[in-house]
Amino acid sequence: MKAKHTLGVVFFPAFDWAIHPLHPEREERLLYTLDQLNEEGVFDIDGINQFKPDIASHDDIMRTHFCFPDVSKVTTESHLISAGGTIKAATLVMDKIVNKSFALVRPPGHHAMKVVHGARGFCNINIEAVMVEYIRENYPVKKIAIVDTDCHHGDGTQDIYWHDKDVLYISMHQDGRTLYPGTGAIHELGGPNALGTTINIPLPPNTSDEGFLMAMDRVVLPILKDFKPDLIINSAGQDNHYSDPITNMNFSALGYARLTQMLNADIAVLEGGYSIQGALPYVNLGITLAMAGLDYSYVHEPDYLQKDLTQEKEITKYIKKLCDQVMKRYEECKKPSFKLMPGNYDVRKKEIYYDTDNIREMQLESIMVCQECRGVLKIETTSTVNPLCLGIEIPLNACDRCQKEGYRLLDTALSGDRYKHVQLIDRRNKKYVLY
Amino acid sequence: MYLGLDVGGTHTDAVIIDKNGVIAQTKVVTTHHNLLECINHALQAVLKSIEPSHIKRVNLSTTLTTNAIIENKCEEVGVFVSGGPGINPLHHAIGNYFFLIDGQIDHRGTEITLLNNSQLEKAIKKCRKKDIRVFAVVSKFSTRNPVHEQYIAQKLPHADFISVGHTLSGNLNFPRRIATAYYNAAVWRLYNTFSHAIEESLRELGAIAPVNILKADGGTIPLPVSRTIPVESILSGPAASVIGTMALCNITHDAVMLDIGGTSCDIAMFADGAPLIEKDGIQLNGRNTLVRSLKTKSIGIGGDSAIQVEGISVTAGPRRLGMSMAEGGSNPTIIDALNVLGTIHFKDTSRSQEGLQALEKKHGIQAHEIAQQAITYALDIIYNEVMAMIDEVNSRPVYTIHEFLKGKVLKPKTIYLIGGPAKTLANNIAQRFGWNVIVPQHCEVANAIGAAVARTTVDIEVFADTQRCRLLVPNLNVNIRIPYDYTLDNAIDDATNYMMQYLESIGVDEREREIEILQAYSFNMVEGFETTGKNIRVHCQVKPGILHQCKDILKL
Repeated sequence: MKAKHTLGVVFFPAFDWAIHPLHPEREERLLYTLDQLNEEGVFDIDGINQFKPDIASHDDIMRTHFCFPDVSKVTTESHLISAGGTIKAATLVMDKIVNKSFALVRPPGHHAMKVVHGARGFCNINIEAVMVEYIRENYPVKKIAIVDTDCHHGDGTQDIYWHDKDVLYISMHQDGRTLYPGTGAIHELGGPNALGTTINIPLPPNTSDEGFLMAMDRVVLPILKDFKPDLIINSAGQDNHYSDPITNMNFSALGYARLTQMLNADIAVLEGGYSIQGALPYVNLGITLAMAGLDYSYVHEPDYLQKDLTQEKEITKYIKKLCDQVMKRYEECKKPSFKLMPGNYDVRKKEIYYDTDNIREMQLESIMVCQECRGVLKIETTSTVNPLCLGIEIPLNACDRCQKEGYRLLDTALSGDRYKHVQLIDRRNKKYVLY
Repeated sequence: MYLGLDVGGTHTDAVIIDKNGVIAQTKVVTTHHNLLECINHALQAVLKSIEPSHIKRVNLSTTLTTNAIIENKCEEVGVFVSGGPGINPLHHAIGNYFFLIDGQIDHRGTEITLLNNSQLEKAIKKCRKKDIRVFAVVSKFSTRNPVHEQYIAQKLPHADFISVGHTLSGNLNFPRRIATAYYNAAVWRLYNTFSHAIEESLRELGAIAPVNILKADGGTIPLPVSRTIPVESILSGPAASVIGTMALCNITHDAVMLDIGGTSCDIAMFADGAPLIEKDGIQLNGRNTLVRSLKTKSIGIGGDSAIQVEGISVTAGPRRLGMSMAEGGSNPTIIDALNVLGTIHFKDTSRSQEGLQALEKKHGIQAHEIAQQAITYALDIIYNEVMAMIDEVNSRPVYTIHEFLKGKVLKPKTIYLIGGPAKTLANNIAQRFGWNVIVPQHCEVANAIGAAVARTTVDIEVFADTQRCRLLVPNLNVNIRIPYDYTLDNAIDDATNYMMQYLESIGVDEREREIEILQAYSFNMVEGFETTGKNIRVHCQVKPGILHQCKDILKL
């Protein structure tokens, strides 16, 4: 067997780390996946190789997140290695060592938002975002698409790229009205500078292969074609699987493999997925084979043939309509809108709950409406574990106005004692400082 | 007294070692068409002035099975494979009689679907019709549950030999298990005929010592044991040199071994003095196997590598066009280049001069310059390969945070150089690497010495599942019930005990039963939010090394 696309698998199961011993995010999570991949001889296939992760530096984290009180208080080594795994996956592809890569690492990251006070949805650090920012700082890549196929809405990734028109975020997930974290409705389309580069497809419970592939065909692929990304990343959560214990979908390993083939992502990153015996070994095998361009048609779960996973007609009808609505809203985003004049701040008030660490956060997020760049970002945040802190981000390729405004905000903040901690992300000068 | 014999590609070497060191050694030309012939010659020569009955142990490293597989002189094997879903098992097809039998076992060892009896009967009938006498039987995840392999095996009562997948290795890797079981059956008859002949020869010579066979992992197995696992005898040559180097030198740190021969250079690595082992197993004839082996790499640079000039670029190897001109060959080689540079004065140096001057005339580059460039080229290749191998070892995947942060990093600063041209290249290599280079005495027969002093090695995987109250040691055919409160410590104790019993049963001396635990993991298995049991894996070995009695007699 020879892979059509060479594939680098960055496999790091963290066999000595758990949130706690009975938690779904525990040592055992990738054990059977490793057994399956080893038994199938996947790493012997010509063109599929295993790689060791890197470890992310504090700069890598601070380039992406505002961490309060600081990076070391909100991360452990496992988070830095997991994020380092995605960085490794990225460099393998960007340096053309392989055609594609798959970061099969844990813990996951897509619920980690721009500001981090602790863990939410099993995530501390957004490993895809850390990777994307690493890529944009080190390689001449402009437009990146992240397609999130985890069953839970990737509210963290959405939050980080809400104002970024160069990163398209598309999430297919179980409707937020029926599952954590509750967000991801179709009207969530991005901030004033980046309208239409956040797309949500909230699928109804019991969606099967048919529904997922329909959403791919009718929404994901057309929007990708329109956006023309330089790089496609798949947040490859596996909890849409019919056997997942904490969700209600009917997706199969074969369906995941087919989706992977259709999406044709450059880099995939494991996210959630907690049916560690019944789903992960087969889904990961399917994704790996599909990414490598190999035949996956014989991959299925032990109980697959006994299951009736045909999608109900009602659901199919609903998804059809949903796809039309999402596309309609996406098209509407292209029309010019003048809600706010450039040079003014658009302000959002957010309340965020960290379920894993039981933290409550209050945020006031201000983005400069800007036609030249992504706009300077200011976040005032306080939580049950931190007094008022401030994050200021001068975006990549910031215009002079936003750059100046960023430092004005910083000077004002540092001259008073309103904030316990202030973090500056200055992407123009690659400066990431905590004051 | 210990007798070691290594059949190599060109030469067959034999040595006898006692407490005073090497007391006899011989080198004869390998007779590929009939290995018994050169083995007998070597044995006779080395035993000429020795009383054969004083020999305590005979260790043999042969290319018999390797050659049979490479040259496709194997017996037809009926291969019965039950794969179930996953990668299409037809990709793993091997041999002319490959049969897929439906049936499925999952990663936990649960039997998902029964074997398809009618397919099995049909396959058996076909084999009987074609008079197939040896079989390989392999199922996916048989190291988690061997029931399908056992079932098929008992359906073949008339077979001369059945190679059963899980008995060959405890590792997971279905395609490798298929190839390994196939090769094992394919060379079984040939190997057994050969081993009887060897025993007879030794008896005729008056040597009554037990005979052991060298394996690719640098350890031996008693010949009677090897009769059912002949595949373990493949590719033992490089390992013989590695063990020989260990016997001749006091290696305690990270180091590199270079075995430079006429056509090739074998590279091996030591971590804290122990030879590095390949993760899964050795590759043979383009197929990966589960045959455990030392981590070695062979590159096409040796003393007889032919020098080639194209335009202004001078290269050497991987081709060999006969011996050096100094030895009467007709093409200038690395040895000739060394002669021209005055590094060595080997045999007829004027012939070397002639050879390189001819190249000078043809290409307009000074002979001296060509010689220099050829050596630089060869050294660069060796240097780059060594560095790439170190890099590869250091970037091996690890699966725990502890290993990631605290894991061993290989940083060798010493090279042990053996093989024919070793001495002549020592200075150049030392310069190129900037490392310490050591050329041990007897380095030209290090391979046979390695064979002579290698200890018996075994490695086992223990797999325990306390939810199902099962413990398996696949390659020792252990499959027993355990209590649900069984722990990792129990598993480590059991692994050690099973290993001890096995070593005793195959007659390994008490002092050689040094068992090392390589890996010991215990995972809590959780279903819903309740712990349902433990999933325990222990990997242990007797690591490759030198027989106790031979430990210090040969060291520098």
